Amino acid sequence: MTVRPDNRYADLPMVPVTCRRCGAHVLARKSSWNQTSVQWDADASAHCLERRDAENLAPHSARGLFLACSALSDSIIDAVRHGDLPVVDETVPVTT
Amino acid sequence: MTLQSDIDEIRQIEADAAPTRFARGWHCLGLIRDFGDGKPHAVHAFGQKLVVFRGGDGKINVLDGYCRHMGGDLTQGEVKGDEIACPFHDWRWGGDGRCKKVPYSKRVPKLARTATWTTLEQDGMLFVWNDPERKPPPPEVTIPRIEGATSDEWTDWHWYTTVVNINCREIIDNVVDMAHFFYIHGSLPTHFKNIFEGHVATQYMNGAGRPDIGDPGETRMLGTTSVASYFGPSFMIDDLTYHYPDADHKTVLINCHYPIDANSFVLQYGIIVKKSEALPGDLALETAIGLGDFVKMGFEQDVEIWKNKARIDNPLLCEEDGPVYQLRRWYEQFYVDVADVAPDMVDRFEYELDTTSPHEEWMKVVNANLAAKTAAGTT
Repeated sequence: MTVRPDNRYADLPMVPVTCRRCGAHVLARKSSWNQTSVQWDADASAHCLERRDAENLAPHSARGLFLACSALSDSIIDAVRHGDLPVVDETVPVTT
Repeated sequence: MTLQSDIDEIRQIEADAAPTRFARGWHCLGLIRDFGDGKPHAVHAFGQKLVVFRGGDGKINVLDGYCRHMGGDLTQGEVKGDEIACPFHDWRWGGDGRCKKVPYSKRVPKLARTATWTTLEQDGMLFVWNDPERKPPPPEVTIPRIEGATSDEWTDWHWYTTVVNINCREIIDNVVDMAHFFYIHGSLPTHFKNIFEGHVATQYMNGAGRPDIGDPGETRMLGTTSVASYFGPSFMIDDLTYHYPDADHKTVLINCHYPIDANSFVLQYGIIVKKSEALPGDLALETAIGLGDFVKMGFEQDVEIWKNKARIDNPLLCEEDGPVYQLRRWYEQFYVDVADVAPDMVDRFEYELDTTSPHEEWMKVVNANLAAKTAAGTT
């Protein structure tokens, strides 16, 4: 039972983004300004400084969930501004 | 002109058969209070019949339901001391799966050992560890504690159990299916985010109340805040807060299941509600019951869809759908040997959904409903 590729990646795949704070490499995709997906790997997770902080606080937080890295979010927005990360809304024609 | 090109343009639904293997992980079988009476209980799970019983030592045990001697049904036997006695010839089986005694024989035969499931009794619930590789549960995947479950400041569990005749992947898909919360459940999602990492899959969802649903004069629920995580393949804890004009109602909703076989599962959900000044004991219990009825209605709406839908491995998604494929990749880790768990099944994945466009459309529907109500003179 292999999981198939996401049909939406045919319109626009995920692209590499590097965090300007810790240098972690992730894959990102933006559907719109308010819609982002981020694929981490073990290396990126180990690099992330905010994640390390969150883990130190984890025993005190609800079920130890790490919501997001703000430095990475900023880096993703930068990547869009610099034209390194396209936004689906602005590149794929609207059909409806 | 050939017909071939037309055929090529049709999107076909593709689906493999549901897996015959059962997920590795902790599964909640139900409340301890329903198993702890010292009698044997039959549970159909993981394609087998299990016997669940509390021995004289107080521990709840889970064994294969059939006696290795002549196949007697242990679920119809009797608890004697710490052991379950077979109704056929009184063979005694201990919680460790070993035959402890054959009362009419001088000795127990060799290899008199049956299958057992490691159990966990926690926060009022009974869990079993299922693993096709028969390895013990790693500590890092244990079920987290639920603070309210053992606190006097919260109600007791209000618990429901029902059988659903479909493969359990359908209920997992709900983690990412933002739009169905409007179309099936009458919710109005305003914020939606998923995070998958390791053995945990989380859904963050905020919802607004539906002004077009409910009776006039009813207290309007302003909205909900929900953080819901699957810890492993089958046990979800949802920290769910209902916002009302006068107060917030804090609840914990458990949504869990265990497979009966490849094509059916037992769905269970349980609710506890935090007591407060606005919600003293009796009212908190009423809220738990009312909320339970509401959740029950929600699952019945799901079941109605599930029992008529096709299994689909290649869903055709739009940008406003959630990460169905990535969720299924996460789910796959529980169906392969530990050695075959690929990094992409457990690596962190985040997906924040832009609800702007769905919300615009849904407010049109809401406003049309309100206008129709007004025209009909019902408000």
